[in-house]
Parts: sequence; structure tokens; C-alpha cells
Amino acid sequence: MSKLLLTIIVLLLISPLFGVLLSEIVGYHEPLDIAAEALGLKDISEEINWTPFYDYAVPGLPQEIGYIISGIIGVLAVILLGYIILYFIYKQR
Amino acid sequence: MHIPDGFLDPIWVVVTYALSVIALGLASRRAKQDMEERSYIIIPLFSAAVFVAQMLNWPIPGGTSLHFLGGALLGIMLGPYLGMLSMAFVIVVQCLLFHDGGITTLGANLLNMSVIPVLIGYYVFVVLNRTVSKIKRSTFIPALIAGWLSVVIAGIACGIEIGLSPNFPYGINITLPIMGGWHAILGIVEGLITGLIVSHIYKRHSLVT
Repeated sequence: MSKLLLTIIVLLLISPLFGVLLSEIVGYHEPLDIAAEALGLKDISEEINWTPFYDYAVPGLPQEIGYIISGIIGVLAVILLGYIILYFIYKQR
Repeated sequence: MHIPDGFLDPIWVVVTYALSVIALGLASRRAKQDMEERSYIIIPLFSAAVFVAQMLNWPIPGGTSLHFLGGALLGIMLGPYLGMLSMAFVIVVQCLLFHDGGITTLGANLLNMSVIPVLIGYYVFVVLNRTVSKIKRSTFIPALIAGWLSVVIAGIACGIEIGLSPNFPYGINITLPIMGGWHAILGIVEGLITGLIVSHIYKRHSLVT
């Protein structure tokens, strides 16, 4: 368990390197974007956005720091959601 | 591979939501049997690790980018039911908190990332592990192939859903080669990471029951 936690922390700390810096240099473009372009589909996510953490950023913070904070918020949310659901499934036994 | 709102026709929205609800509902019922005392504390940590691993985007110069998906890995380590659920936690949080993928397309994204790759990864690994590992005594190759195939099939499924949305009746001719082709290349990294982690864990202690 401690190794899992350590993995999460290390990945969180290096995440801006891959999620922000490298993306800025080379550009983030996944196969789905290529397929959508070929079909002429328009991504309207930004226009209908519902979250302050859009694109893993935190308003008012530099992108690199915001990426790490987003990561921490996401990790806590995933753990909380997983814990609640799995706890109820387990207790049904 | 997160499909945003507006990319899918209403029919596909309904079909993919239905399939995901059925698969994850079944997983919730069956997951109990795979759980032990502290499973509900440890398994969310696996989900969290995959969530962070997905934040590491590896741009491929000149073309596209990739990040680790982790569906096959969770399937192999936790089994198909807990694997599907643990991956679903990631996809739901990505959607609701970070707008990674749309609400109308959440069903499709759950299907493509928390159902298909987990099932493909798990069953391909189990079948190959019975045959290959007996000869080579290694779990690396079975896990590598399972990881690679999980991403390729998930990419193809995504391509079919978008391409077959009736707004684009001939879209599948375009989307299938793009999604299948690119994921066949990008999936090699997924396979390598899955293979390395699984063979490392198997060497120390078997997690698969």
C-alpha cells in the first residue's frame, strides 16, 4: 500500500513535465482529434464547460502548479468515489 | 480517447449508456466475491494511480500523443469485475471534475475505457498466460499482448461509435483506419508498460486469484 501511495505522489510531482511542458513544445494531439478533424466534427467542450478545473488547470494558478493541484483533487475524488462504492458493495455480502 | 459532447448521435448515446450500465451493474454484483477485508481501501488507490498515470501525456513528434490507459493492467491485477469498477471511478471523475469527455458521451467513454479494455486485457492475458507462460515461464509477453490489444480494440470501438453516427453515414471508412491504425502503434507503449508492471508483480507475489 505504501508503494502505491509513493507511486501516486511521484507521478503527481512529475506530471506537469509531461502534461504541460512537453505538450506545449510538441502539441497534444490524440488519434480521436485526428478522426474528428477528418469528419469535420467540432469539439464544443469549451463552450459548454461546467467545471473550474477544465483541462486540468486551476483558475488563477500557473499551469504547472494547477496541473499538480488538479492531480491532487482528482486523486482524492477517485479515492473517495471508489471507497464509497466499494464499501457498499462489500457490505452487501 | 475521451469522446466530447456532440460527437455521438442520440442512438449511440443510448446504446453505449445501456451497455455500460449493464456491464458495470453486473460487475457490481459479481465484484463482492473477489473482495477481501481491506479491498475497498486498497482498490481505490489503484484507480488513483491510473488516474495520475493518465495525466502523463507523451507527445509523439510530428503526429499524435499518447498516455497510458491502464484498463488491461487493472483487469489483470484485480480481475474483470473489480477491474471494470476501478477504471469506471477514473472515467467518472475525469468527466465530472475535469470535463475530460462529455456527459452525453459518458456511457461511450465508460464502455471504451472501463469495460472493453479491462475485459479484453483480462481474458487475453488469462488465455495466453496458460499457453505462453508454460513455455517461456514469463508473464511479460501475455501481458504485453493483452495491453496492446486492449488499446487497439478500444480505439476501434471508439472509431465505430463516431463513424457510425448517422450524421456521418460513411464516417466509419475514415474513423476506423485512423483509430485502429494509430492505436495499433500507440498501443505498443501500453503493452510494454503493462508487461513490465505485471511481470514485476508476478515475480514478487501473485495478485491474480
